Amino acid sequence: MSESSLPPPPGAGAAYTAPVSDAPPPPPPMVSVSNVTKAFGDVIAVSDVSFTVGPGITALLGPNGAGKSTLFRMLCGLAAPTSGQVRVLGRDARRDAEVRGRIGLAPQQDALFDRLDALEFVSIAAELHGVAEPENEARRVLEFVQLPADDPKPVGSFSKGMRQRVKLATALVNDPSVLILDEPLTGLDPVQRRRMIELFVELGESGKCLLVSSHVLDEVARLGSRVLVIAQGRLAAAGDYHALRDLMDDRPHRIRVRVDDPRPFAAALVERGIVDGVSIATDALLVDTTDVDGFGRSVAPVARELGIRLREVAPTDDDLESVFRYLVGGR
Amino acid sequence: MTGIVSSPRAIAITYRVVLRQLVSKGRLVALSLIGAVVALVGWAVGRASYDEPWLSPEEVERLRLDDAVNTVANLGFTILVPIVALVFAAASLGDTREDGTLVYLWLRPTKRWTMAVGGWLAAITVSLPITVIPMVASAMLHDVGSDLVVGAAIGSIVGVIVYSALFVLLGLLVKNAIVWGLAYILIWEGLVAAFGSAAAKVAMRGYTSSILSERTGVDIDIGTLSQTVAIGVPLVIAVAALALSAVRLDSLEVA
Repeated sequence: MSESSLPPPPGAGAAYTAPVSDAPPPPPPMVSVSNVTKAFGDVIAVSDVSFTVGPGITALLGPNGAGKSTLFRMLCGLAAPTSGQVRVLGRDARRDAEVRGRIGLAPQQDALFDRLDALEFVSIAAELHGVAEPENEARRVLEFVQLPADDPKPVGSFSKGMRQRVKLATALVNDPSVLILDEPLTGLDPVQRRRMIELFVELGESGKCLLVSSHVLDEVARLGSRVLVIAQGRLAAAGDYHALRDLMDDRPHRIRVRVDDPRPFAAALVERGIVDGVSIATDALLVDTTDVDGFGRSVAPVARELGIRLREVAPTDDDLESVFRYLVGGR
Repeated sequence: MTGIVSSPRAIAITYRVVLRQLVSKGRLVALSLIGAVVALVGWAVGRASYDEPWLSPEEVERLRLDDAVNTVANLGFTILVPIVALVFAAASLGDTREDGTLVYLWLRPTKRWTMAVGGWLAAITVSLPITVIPMVASAMLHDVGSDLVVGAAIGSIVGVIVYSALFVLLGLLVKNAIVWGLAYILIWEGLVAAFGSAAAKVAMRGYTSSILSERTGVDIDIGTLSQTVAIGVPLVIAVAALALSAVRLDSLEVA
C-alpha cells in the first residue's frame, strides 16, 4: 500500500512513526485509487481517497455508511468517480470489458436471481465470463464454498448464509485476479466464517488481490495484516492491522459503571489513580481511562473493599464508530 | 480459462436469465384476463344484429367489418398490446436495476447492447402469445373474414416489438416505469387520437392501426399510413430504442 503509515494518535504530533517491517519491496499495485471523490448530489460519499493495493488480502474497515461499498462499486466500474481515477490492473473497469472479466465481486446487497438454483446462478456467471466448461467450474466453486451443486431449490429459498456463499461462488467462478468482497462474512455461522477466512487467506497467498470490507474488527484481525480504514468517506488510516490495533488500544476509553453508592466509589477510583477522570451521571459513573485492562482488574476489588455493590461495567465507546471518530480526529 | 463471450451467446444467456425472472403466475394470469376480455368482446360484437330493413346485405357486411376493425384497434392496439408489452418489457431490465441483480449481468465482459437485446427478446417472448392469441381470436370471433385476422396478427406483432423496445428503455431510465408507461399509453397514445392522422405519426398506435386499416380497407382516423411505413418505421424505432438502452446501460450507475 502506498499510504502504509497509520496516522499519528491524537496528541502524538510528528513524533509518531509507523512500524517498520523487514518485508521485501511491495509488488506493483493491482488496484490504484487516486484522489477519488464520489458525490451524490450534496452528499459526499467518498472524499479524496488515494491508495494502492497489491496481491494478498487488504481489509477495508469502516462503519456502515462510511463509503466502503461506494468505493468498491467504483473499483468494479459500477459507478464512476466524480473526480479522481480508479484503476484495476492498470485499466478502467467501467470502460474496459476485458478487465471486468478479471474481477470477481460479491456485492453487499442480498439480491440474487431468486428463481434460479445455485448451479444455474453460478453457471450463468461462468458462461458470461466465457469460462470453458461453465457447469463444471460452477460445481467446483460451489463445492469450494460448501454448497451442494445439485440442490434443486431456488436460491430465493436459501438462508442468508447460503445466499452469501452463492455470491462468493459467483465471484470466484472466473478465477479472477482481483476479488472484491463486500461484507462477505455477514450471515455466516462461525464454522462457515472460519472456512471462508481460510479460503480468503489461501486465495491471497496464491497471488490474487483480495479487497474485503467489514465493519467488524475481529473479522479483520483474522483476515490479515493490511487494513484501510474508511470513515465518513475519507481514508482515516492505512497500514498494518496490529499497529492499528495498538493505536486503538492506546486511545482513551469511556466506561459506564453502575454502583449502589457512586460518589465514594468515584473518589476511590480517582485517589488510587485507576482512572484518568470520572463524571457522575444520573444513575451511573462515566469513567475515562487509557488502561482498560488495569481498570478491569481493579474495579471489582475496589467495590468489594468499600462494600459497594457493583451492578454494571460496560464500555460506552467500544464500537467501531468511536474508533473511527478517534482515528479521523487524529488526522 | 475465461474469455470474451460472443455477442449471440451473451444475448442467449441474458435472454434465458431475464425470461426466468419475468414469468410469474400472477403476471401471466392478470394479463391473460385482459386478453380474454378482448376475445370476448370480439365474440359479442360478432353476434350483434344489423337486421335493419333499410340496409342492403353489402351495407350490413360493411358495418360489421367497420365495427370489428374499430373494436380490435381500440381494445387491442390501445390497451392490450401496449399494456402487456409495458408490464414485461419495463420489468425485463428495469426490475434487475431496481432489485440490485443487474450487477450480475452488468459486471461481465460482454457488450452492453447484448443485454438490451436479450432483455427485449425475453419480454417479446412472453408478450407475443398473450397479445397475438387473443387478438387473433377476437378477429376470428368477429367473423368478418381473414383480412381482419391477418391485420390483427401483424399489428400485434409489430406493436409488441416496438412497445417492448421502448419500455425496455423506459425501465432503464426511470424508477416506477409501470406508472410512467401507463401515463404514456393513456395520455400520449390516447390523446393522439384526438388530433387526427398527422399527430398519429408520433404515436405507435397510429402505425398499428394503419396496418389494420390497410389490410381490411376500413378507414381509421389515425390509421392512414402505408403498409411499408406502418411496419418499417416501428422497426426502426425499436432498433433506435435498443441502441439508446445500450447507451443507457453503459452510463448507468449500478447499485
